[in-house]
Amino acid sequence: MRHHAPSMAPVEIRGLSKRFRSVLAVNDLSFDIEAGRVTGFLGPNGAGKSTTLRALLGLVLPTSGTATFGGARYEDLDRPSAKVGAVLEDASFHPGRTGRNHLRVLAVTGMHPPERVDVVLQSVGLTAAADRPVKGYSMGMRQRLAIAAALLGDPEVLILDEPTNGLDPPGIAWMRGMLREQAARGRAVLVSSHLLAEVAQSVDDVVVIAKGQMRGHGTLEQVLGGDEGPATEVRSQDDTRLASALQAAGHTATPLASGGLIVPGVSPKEVGVIAHDAGVYLVGLGQQMRSLEQAFFALTGEELVT
Amino acid sequence: MSALLQAELLKLRTTRTFFAMVGAALALSLLVVVLVSTLADDFTKKDVRDLFTADFTGMFITLLGVIGMAGEWRHRTITSTVLAAPDRIKLLAAKVIAYAGAGAVLSLIVTVTIMLVGTIILSIRGEQTAVVSDLVDVLWRNLLVSALLGALGVGIGGVLRNQVVAIVGVLFVAFVLEPTLFGLVPEVGKFGPTGGAPGGIAQSPGFDGEDPDYLAPAVAVLVMLGWIGVFSAAAAARLRGSDLV
Repeated sequence: MRHHAPSMAPVEIRGLSKRFRSVLAVNDLSFDIEAGRVTGFLGPNGAGKSTTLRALLGLVLPTSGTATFGGARYEDLDRPSAKVGAVLEDASFHPGRTGRNHLRVLAVTGMHPPERVDVVLQSVGLTAAADRPVKGYSMGMRQRLAIAAALLGDPEVLILDEPTNGLDPPGIAWMRGMLREQAARGRAVLVSSHLLAEVAQSVDDVVVIAKGQMRGHGTLEQVLGGDEGPATEVRSQDDTRLASALQAAGHTATPLASGGLIVPGVSPKEVGVIAHDAGVYLVGLGQQMRSLEQAFFALTGEELVT
Repeated sequence: MSALLQAELLKLRTTRTFFAMVGAALALSLLVVVLVSTLADDFTKKDVRDLFTADFTGMFITLLGVIGMAGEWRHRTITSTVLAAPDRIKLLAAKVIAYAGAGAVLSLIVTVTIMLVGTIILSIRGEQTAVVSDLVDVLWRNLLVSALLGALGVGIGGVLRNQVVAIVGVLFVAFVLEPTLFGLVPEVGKFGPTGGAPGGIAQSPGFDGEDPDYLAPAVAVLVMLGWIGVFSAAAAARLRGSDLV
């Protein structure tokens, strides 16, 4: 699993807990979000994802622990919308206000240049609808407006709670591109989603929680690989000799019923080198991973309902 | 704070509700002034002065203040508002000041309009008209009442949060509870926030004597500030301690 450098990450959550009366919604959660990476925040319904994000954004008061941006709480940031952009699941707007006016209000509040309104409207493809009241917007258009609002301050950190809700397939593809683009620009992006396939295509790191507790955290490859990391599936002309060579190198190779070997915790490159040194010809070599769905169910203890 | 204030004023100007309320306040005030100045006879200086207190801005700006605050919950915009302005107390203060300012501006427009129209009608009819000093005196009182009621509306909206309940509550207090109380127990009714205390500010000291049923203007201002303080403090406590889930 990922180990954190001592330097201050753009987002740091330390021992965060939140209790609503008798319900412990978030229980001693700790993780970092790093710059230049998209982090998927996964968990079943009621896992505490939204509560965690809201605590991070100062909307919910933590019972204990801290959630900070570069060491500062959201509410202590100077011009917070220039540092953090957020799209929450229930993004709402005054129905009678136009999309442009909604952004103008936020631009004034955040002391952003007025020109940013047109820039973000264009970036989310809402320029043509900008002067229509929001009550006439589709759900997808509202979601785009919420994203435009989050981008208004050109923030260093983006936090998105189920951002693909209401988006059509082209919208989801656009969202995926936008997330990658933001990360490529050095932004730290935290995105919660229940769409596992969608997340698998977009994220670098994954945080999995269930019942308010951390269940898994690391790079996508680490999480998909399970506790021992990714496994390698290898087929050779002489599996017995290769298994011996791998064992001699300190690895465990398990024969597969269909032929070949599975070698947990070792990369295909390492297996290839060992096979080469042992003089065994390979006929197949690849990384074997769990699907994100398999990893999710394994980590959260949820059962797949069919 | 300045940015928050500008943002609140921009919010106010970018909804139809605001213009509907401005139109309604102006129309209602004009209707009363036109009817009275056209139909009544033998105006005294006090009648003319009283005529120009028919500025209905106070009720409408109270409702606008209620809507401006409680509407944040009704439309669930409170989350994005607090995200943009995480200091919740500053946010509330900005709303209170913005609606006080809006009340004063709205009252300025309405009062000057009814004064112009009323004076023209009375002049044409050869009736008594008001001197400039009287007009100025009525004007600042109307402005002050509307400013205070705008601030009060925000406090009420912040305490009740349910927009419908808050509006119905304000209308009930203004048109049922306070008039009843004022009629039955004037020594209590004159402290009321929607009619009693504003009535004390609007009355004319030294002009035909102060009405003993009302508070003296300075005391009435203090009472109104007290109401605003109580509601704003309660709204601030609710806002600061709330989890926005």
